[in-house]
This record gives sequence, C-alpha cells and structure tokens, in this order.
Amino acid sequence: MNYVPGTASLIDDIDKKHLVLLRDGRTLIGYLRSIDQFANLVFHQTVERIHVGKKFGDIPRGIFIVRGENVVLLGEIDMDKPCDTVLQQVSIEEILEEQRLQQQAKQETDKVKMQALKDRGLSIPKADNLDEY
Amino acid sequence: MFRFQSLDEDCTLEEEDEGLVEDEDEIDQFNDDTFGAGAIDDDWQEEHKRLAGLEDKDGLGAELALGGGGMGGESDLGAAQTSTSTHLHSAGHAPLSSLKFSLSSSELPSDVDDRGGGDLAESLARLILEADPAIAGVGAAERPGPSPSSSRSSLSALQGLNRPGVPAQPSSIPHPIQPHQHPQHPQHELPPGPSASGLPPGPPLSSMLSYQQQQHLLRRGTAPMAQMNSHSIWENSMGFGPVSVTPGLVTHMEDSPLMSIIKEVGLPKRPPQSRNDEVRDLSERVPPPRSSSPVIGSPPVRAVPIGTPPKQPMSHALNHQNSPLCRGPFPPGVGTVLSQIQHAQLLNSQVAGFPRGGPGPPLLPVGSGFRPFFGGPPPPLGHRMGPPPHGHLNHTPPIRHNTTHLHPQHRRMLTQRMQSRGGDRGRTGGDRRSRDPYSNLMTQKEKEWVTKIQMMQLQSTDPYLDDYYYQNYYEKMEKRQDRESDSSKKEYTTKLITPQVAKVEHTYRPVQFAGSLGKLTVSSVNNPRKMIDAVVTTRTDDEEKREKQVWNKRRQILYTVEKMYSMLLEVQDFEKRFVQAPEEDREALLERHKTNTTQLCNSLREKEWDNRVNDEQCVMIMSVRKGKRLISRLLPFLPSPQAAAVVMAISRNLPALAKKDKQDQVLCWLVEPVSAVIQSLSSSTLTDLLQELQGSEGQLATVLHNKFGVTLLYLILSEGERMQSTDPNCQLMDDNRWTELVFSVTRELLSVPSSSLSPPLFMPPNLLSLFSRYVDRQRLDLLQDKLQ
Repeated sequence: MNYVPGTASLIDDIDKKHLVLLRDGRTLIGYLRSIDQFANLVFHQTVERIHVGKKFGDIPRGIFIVRGENVVLLGEIDMDKPCDTVLQQVSIEEILEEQRLQQQAKQETDKVKMQALKDRGLSIPKADNLDEY
Repeated sequence: MFRFQSLDEDCTLEEEDEGLVEDEDEIDQFNDDTFGAGAIDDDWQEEHKRLAGLEDKDGLGAELALGGGGMGGESDLGAAQTSTSTHLHSAGHAPLSSLKFSLSSSELPSDVDDRGGGDLAESLARLILEADPAIAGVGAAERPGPSPSSSRSSLSALQGLNRPGVPAQPSSIPHPIQPHQHPQHPQHELPPGPSASGLPPGPPLSSMLSYQQQQHLLRRGTAPMAQMNSHSIWENSMGFGPVSVTPGLVTHMEDSPLMSIIKEVGLPKRPPQSRNDEVRDLSERVPPPRSSSPVIGSPPVRAVPIGTPPKQPMSHALNHQNSPLCRGPFPPGVGTVLSQIQHAQLLNSQVAGFPRGGPGPPLLPVGSGFRPFFGGPPPPLGHRMGPPPHGHLNHTPPIRHNTTHLHPQHRRMLTQRMQSRGGDRGRTGGDRRSRDPYSNLMTQKEKEWVTKIQMMQLQSTDPYLDDYYYQNYYEKMEKRQDRESDSSKKEYTTKLITPQVAKVEHTYRPVQFAGSLGKLTVSSVNNPRKMIDAVVTTRTDDEEKREKQVWNKRRQILYTVEKMYSMLLEVQDFEKRFVQAPEEDREALLERHKTNTTQLCNSLREKEWDNRVNDEQCVMIMSVRKGKRLISRLLPFLPSPQAAAVVMAISRNLPALAKKDKQDQVLCWLVEPVSAVIQSLSSSTLTDLLQELQGSEGQLATVLHNKFGVTLLYLILSEGERMQSTDPNCQLMDDNRWTELVFSVTRELLSVPSSSLSPPLFMPPNLLSLFSRYVDRQRLDLLQDKLQ
C-alpha cells in the first residue's frame, strides 16, 4: 500500500526481493529491509550475482547496506514469474574464473586498441566513472 | 532463510519447513556470528533460579522490591495488571498474588507480562500454556545452553532499542531489586535477573515464539517506557531474556504452519547492551537549541536532531500488516488502516506520550487462532482498525496528513486503484510474507518517518507554481468527469480542498534589548550580517519632477553666472593685458574686448537693441551669491543706460532680492557700484528710481527693513538733495513726483517703528537738509531721532 500515493516511494518495496545495480557494476539481489530518505538500502540475504556470458554465479554476502548515491537502478523481483532458463548457474569459483578471464580478454583488447590509436597519433581519454566532478 | 543456496533454486524466501530444520547449534552459531553479541543466557538462567527461590519468600518482599524498582508507568496498566494478577490468583499462582503493580508498568512483568494493558484473555491463554507440560517439554528441548554474554539474539540485535524491560520470565517480580540496588550506573553486564517464579517452561517457551511475535511483545512492553535514560532501560531489563509473553499464544499456534517455523527459528536473545547503550546515548544527546527556527514546513525544533530515526520503543502494534497472526481476517492487501487520529499521533507524538489505551492489546489476539476467546473484535482495537476484523477489501483508507497535498481527484483515483489491486494481490503476497520471519524490520513508525520526510519535500505554498502541469491535468480530469457523470452523483463526490502550507512571512529579527545602546551582533545562517544599513527612500514622480526642475534651473543660473564671470574677468584684465601686449596684438585684443563687453551687456538685456534689462534674468542671477558679486563687478563696465536699467531692476525687485539674500547677506556688495551709478543718473531717472524703489504698496516698508534697501534709499535721497542744492536749475522739482515721493518716504519713515528700521551702511549727511525742506519742525525732529 502506497504511503505516498502520487509519488514514488520505496516504502512499498520493503521486505521484497530486489535486484540492485550499483555504480561500480555489481549486481546484488536481496530482500530490501529498510530504507531512509536518501534511499540508502538495507539488504538481507544478499547475493552478488556475477554474469559472464551465459553463465552466472551467486556469492552470498549476507547483509548489505548500500549508500543511496551508489544505486543505478533497483527493481523488484517478481517471485511468481518463472526464472530465466537461458542462463546457467555455475559455482562461485567457476564464475570468478570466468570473470577473470573476461577481464583479461578485455584488457588485452583494450591494450591492442590503445596501441593502434597511439600509432595513429590518437588517444581516447579514460572516462572516470567514479567522479563526475 | 539461513541458507543462501536456496535462493537460486526457487527464488523464494520461504523455504519449505524442512529447509528451516537445522540443528539448534547451527542456528545459534549462526546467530552469534551474524548478529553480534546477544542475550546472555547464563544470567537468564540464574535469574530464573533466583526467582524460583524467591518464590518461596514472602510475597511482600517481592512487592517492595517491585515498588522500589519501578520506573514511571501508567496507572491503567497497573490496574490492568492488578486485574490480571488477581486473575492469576485464581489460577493458583499464589506467590504472585501479592503482586500489585501500582507503580511501574514498565518492564516489570508479572506472570502475565501484560504490558499491553492487561488482556484478560491473553493472560488466561498464557496460564494454560504454562500449565501444559507438553509445551513445556518442547520448550525445554530448545533451551540454549549457557554461554557467555556474547551475541545471542538474532535480529533483535537490530532492535536493541526495542528491548527495554521486556520480561523474560513470567514473574520478574524480584527483578526490580537490581535497579534498586544499583540505581545510578548503567549496567553493561546483565546482572542476574529475576528468574521465573516456578515456571521453568516459561523462558524456553518464549524461545519458540516467532521473531515477529517477540517484536510485538517487545514493542508493547516498552511503550510506556517513553524517553528514558539508557541506564534505566537496561537496568530494568537486565534479567530478561527472550520474550516470554506468549506462552498463551503458542498454544493456539500449534496448528498453524507457523508453529514449525517458530520452533525452528528460535528466538532472538538479548541484544548487546553496551553497544546499544552507546547508541542510545548518542541519539539522546541534545544539540544546542537553534537561534532561529527553521523555515516553513520543517518539523518543530526538537531536542533530537532530525536525522535520527524514530526510537523503537513505541507501540508498533500498527505494524500488524505482516504479523503472521493476523493472517486470518485480513488479506494483506488491505494494508494498514489508521484512523486519522492515530496517524496524527504517530506523526506528531514524541516517543513518550503514546496512550496506552490506543494500541491496546497487540494484534496477536486478532489472529484467527484467538477467535474462541473473544465474542467479537476486541473493543480497543475497534477504533484502530477501521473495518471490523472480518476482512473488508474495499475500504477507503482514511485521509492521511501526509497525503493532503494530492489533488483530490488524484487521491480518489489512487484509492480506487488501490482497492482493486488489493483484492488481486492479496492472497499470494500474504502467504509469502507470512513466512518471512525477518519482515517488518522496518517498523511502521520508521516508515512513517521516512514518508514524512519525503512529504515535507513536496510541501508547497503555491502548487500552481511548483507543479503546474499536475494541477492542470487533474483539474481537467475532474471537469471531464463532472461533465460525464449525472447530477445525482455530484453529492457523492464531495470536493476536497487540499490544504496548503500557509505563506507566512518568516523574517528573522535578531534579539534586541529595549533601551540598550546599539545592537547585538548576531549572525546566523538564517540571518546573515547586514553589511550596509541601506534605507530606500522613494519619491513620487511629481516631487521628483519638481525637484529636478528646480535643480536644473539653478544649474542653469550657475552656468550663466560662470560664463559671464569669465567674460567679466577678461574684460577686467583687458587693460593690464593691453598694456603688456605687443603692438600688433593690441588691435586684436581691443576687438576681443569689445566683443566681450557687448556680450556681457547682451546677456542682461531682453533684446539686443533694447536697453531694458531682462528683469527675470537679473533676478535670477542675483539669486545666486556669485551672481550678486558678478553684478557688482559688472556694473562699472556697463554703459550707463544699461547700468541704470540694472539698478532700476534691482530696486524694482528689491523685496524679492532681499528675501533671497537672507541667507547670504551680500547685497551690500552692490552698494558701491550702485552708488556710483546713482550719482551718474539724471534727475528724472533718479525720480524714476525712487519710484521704483517705493514700488507697490508696502514695498517701502520692506525696503526699510533691509539694510541695503535703506542704504539705497538714502543714497537716492541724498543724490536728489545734492542735485537740488548744487544745481539751481535742477529739474527735480519740475513735476511733483519727487516731492510726493519724498513725502511718502517721510511718512513711511515716521510710521515705521525704530526697531524695524535697519541701520544703513552709511548715513549721507545731507538727508536732514532734504527733509527740512519738506517737513515741519516737529517731524524733522522725529526724523532726526530716527535717523540717528
């Protein structure tokens, strides 16, 4: 029941399972237990889900407190809907390994790209995602 | 819920009951690790034993202890407890019969631990439960082993503030002894609290309660505690372990699916005290009062800063939405129903003053399981739950304070939407939530608090300014609906006028003391220091125009004077220069001189060929001090007819000039040149001059007042006399004008009082002889006196 009808409020989302995407790229899934006026979130039974390709792995994290400013998006997980069957769950070690490989590959391609640009005398400044100012 | 791997399997929190079955040890360990220091079971057990021992003692002692250790409580509670204790009497708990909770309602739990206001039925239920050995057996099995005062409680750690004085045992009567003995210092270590009075199953039973139930009880119990020092809270709650209230409840829960969960989940143990103490202290620290109150819409200035979340020990019976016990009558979609009063109380009340009668018995009795105990809905609950607990889906939530800023049309629509949605989603949501022991971690009060903050940000003194499109959209919708609906419905849809925040002027005026010199230098965020005390003086347009005109005119005069002065100076210096200049330049110099003089003359003249002087111009020039000086220097250089004309003008306008000269008093500069001019005048001109001087009626009097005027007059007269005496064929006497004028002058002189006759600059000697011609002896004498 909406405590503040006509506006958007997280009150109704309390005690429901949510998926939150953080600014650093992490995906957390957990039960939203508490909020405050800054949209700081308290998650319970949080799981960090890492996606690599078609595989994903869940790392249990326990209780998470997320500072509101770090949230990119937050959405309720509909428990009634059937889970996605396209993705394949793997163990934590495996997914971490996969992630590492992915990062490595990305770094390699980036390096090659930068080198190619450098050879041509161009450069792309690295975007600083963490600091907007 | 304690196993994360279950998450990816079925994405549901509520695992099957099997999922929750774990070893007790595992659960306890988990709790310890995750939730920090918890309750101290040792003490609890010791307390239990002690209480059991005390039971044998005289009940009076217990009573005394009770009275001594009591914290502020509410009389009704005491009364209620008295009633229940009386009831217990009959039940056969003799040692407790003497319990009269006159004073403290707080944490002193009686056998019934009925802080919630003495629900008779509840106490009965509890009794039954206690008496039931089967249940006791179950509870005993669950009793956790002794452990140090490390963390015990699960989520109750998060509710540390919630715990004050919740009694663990049915009888914590002797407990107050503790605070009695150590009233001053906070107890960071749980002292041996009161042990259960002969009711061993009591504590273990409580462990079977679901977390939520405990919450309810905790909150209920702590409601009367209000705002207390952390010390007292912990002192009183020392010996109390997990919630004990609900043996009675547990009875009826046996059938419900919850029971299994309750058994498995275990109970939160006592929360860490020291930590919570500090937390408490911090939140109770009072900031210095503000120098000025914040602007509109902000909450009233309180001792506790805005950022602190609401304290827990308030009645949270409102948070029944998720109570597993309330599942029966209410589909969860109904949501919390609050009367407006209730809501206001929530929003506005401090922690302290929540009336006990309001929340009343917890919602536990409202569960379906408790039906048999009540004939109907419990009366205290009646006003809180709008519809009677038979489940109304389509009720209209009452208007809340914090939603008054919605357009009424909008609110209506939302209400309808909510109702329709509530019916659909009720069942599934309810099931899910009913099995979530961690639900309602965020209490109702906290939710309201966050909502309040959010609503505060929406407050607006001018909704049309802040949210124009919103207002217009709903207005249009309303109009459309009115058009479509028939008139019969018109009365049904009453128009709601949304209250707006009043636009009150909030000018901050710094503190001022009457009669003191100067102002206090006070500067704050709301009142920055004034750098300049500028005062705005506004003048109307007319005034401004007039002022401007005056200034313009004056400036013009000054300009003219300056110009003439420069010319005059050139003229005056001509001779010097002429002498010094070489031969060839003299011609040019002469030419220039001539030009200058002509120009000067022209400036005074009305028209180029006319010798008459522009009166206005002259007077204007003479109104300025410098102008007078200018004229006085200029007169010698003017050709005699023009000079005469100037003098005439002067004498003609003498009154005005005299008035203007009041400040400067420099008219007398003119005496010399004027006298020179006069001496060059012809008789007729002189007569004219005298006539001018006399001018209109009363002018002579003014003239006589003025020094210059008198001097001028005398000059004229003396000149005339001279003329007469020296020149036998003077034409002065040709017409009677001169004589008449002199006569009038004489008359005037005689009539004017001596005081008003201002002394002239100098007295011409031949005046007397003049007068002697015209007046008789006696008048002459008088005149003489006067002139002296």
